[in-house]
Amino acid sequence: MRKISFVLLIVIGAMGLTGCQGYNRMVEKQEAVTSQWGNVQNAYQRRADLIPNLVNTVKGYAQHEQETFTQVTEARAKATQTTISPENLTTESLQEYQQAQDQLSRALGRLLLIQENYPELKANQNFLALQDELAGTENRISVERNRFNMSAQDYNAYIRKFPQVIYAKWFKFEPKAYFEATAEAQTAPQVQF
Amino acid sequence: MKLFRKSKYLLIFILFASFGLSAQDIPEPMVPYRLVNDFADIFSSAEELALEQKLRAYNDSTSTQIYVVSVTDLGGYPASDYAFRLGEKWEIGQKSKDNGAVILIKPKIGNSRGQAFIATGYGLEARINDAYAGRIVRNEMIPYFMDEDYFGGVNAAVDVMIARLSGEFNADDEEGEGGFPFFVVIIVLIITIVLLSIFSKGGDQHIGGGGHRTNSPPIFFPPMGGGRRSGGFGSGSGWSGGRTGGFGGGGGGRFGGGGAGGSW
Repeated sequence: MRKISFVLLIVIGAMGLTGCQGYNRMVEKQEAVTSQWGNVQNAYQRRADLIPNLVNTVKGYAQHEQETFTQVTEARAKATQTTISPENLTTESLQEYQQAQDQLSRALGRLLLIQENYPELKANQNFLALQDELAGTENRISVERNRFNMSAQDYNAYIRKFPQVIYAKWFKFEPKAYFEATAEAQTAPQVQF
Repeated sequence: MKLFRKSKYLLIFILFASFGLSAQDIPEPMVPYRLVNDFADIFSSAEELALEQKLRAYNDSTSTQIYVVSVTDLGGYPASDYAFRLGEKWEIGQKSKDNGAVILIKPKIGNSRGQAFIATGYGLEARINDAYAGRIVRNEMIPYFMDEDYFGGVNAAVDVMIARLSGEFNADDEEGEGGFPFFVVIIVLIITIVLLSIFSKGGDQHIGGGGHRTNSPPIFFPPMGGGRRSGGFGSGSGWSGGRTGGFGGGGGGRFGGGGAGGSW
């Protein structure tokens, strides 16, 4: 009898130990997702910061495209307003975020198409530089999104495994949503349509 | 509903798996390691040597790694993506400095357009931002490339990059970082010896001492893991140091998608 309770004690103790370890790992992985989400938002913010400059440069050459400028400005405002805190990375909220950003991508694509009608704009050094920055930012966005998906996948897989799946329920570790690949995500806006 | 959810995960898994597969299209670095990896054979051997010497000297004095890579085929990737993946895969630049750059050239072959891209590691982004990288490609490289003078273009681009980066990095900080893993290796060695002696004594006293056996792994493994990692890093530079006279390939630098390119 004493032997059995001793064994039981060891088993419970072992479970407690693995529980602590599992909990700590879950926290670490969750933090990794959180910081990666910060990187994603930074990359998008970088793009939003470039846009006023870009619009002003294009405006200097193409005053008649007022409608496109308004669309870009509105889409930018909407995209910068839509933010998600890392605790709230659900499928719905991420989809909403992605929609706002995709809309901005489309508006930007239209803005960049303008250059075809204005050869002087096309040759403007400042415009070329801004285009390079914008393309680089799109690359950064796709890199950070990929890394976010990887870390979210790592975390999601971890909290669904045994025995963490038990503790995850107790401590409310919710699975994180993924970015879904859209046509816009794969290509820089210049190549759209 | 549950089935739908599962199939969604499966889809995501397949997506990731296909990413993993496609990463294999990026070639391995040439061995012995070098900074000029001319897969497309666009340089003569004298040109290749001249470039390699210049880049190697720059690497030795500043630890900044500028790789020149030419390929005949981008494997379906945009040039930006290819250069980024290559930089990440080869770990170009030094760890924690991330001072690596890739000058990728896909020469004009037949009807296909030539493409050039400069990808910058995190550490170079501040000095060589995307706009500047784009200007280098447009103003220094493509004018030469249009005349099929690949060496002239790359040489000019490298000169501009080196001038732009002057004073940003130097090789000396590397010494401090290099000393640390060696120190760890010695400590791990001492701990291992001490533990081994304790372990063998314990084994003598009671045969099949389960308590000892289950105890030792948790103490054993963390230093082993640490030793292996630092050992890998150290041996990377030490090993190739013996073979190629000082160049050990990529040093663990990371890329974030920065850079710019152009086509002709």
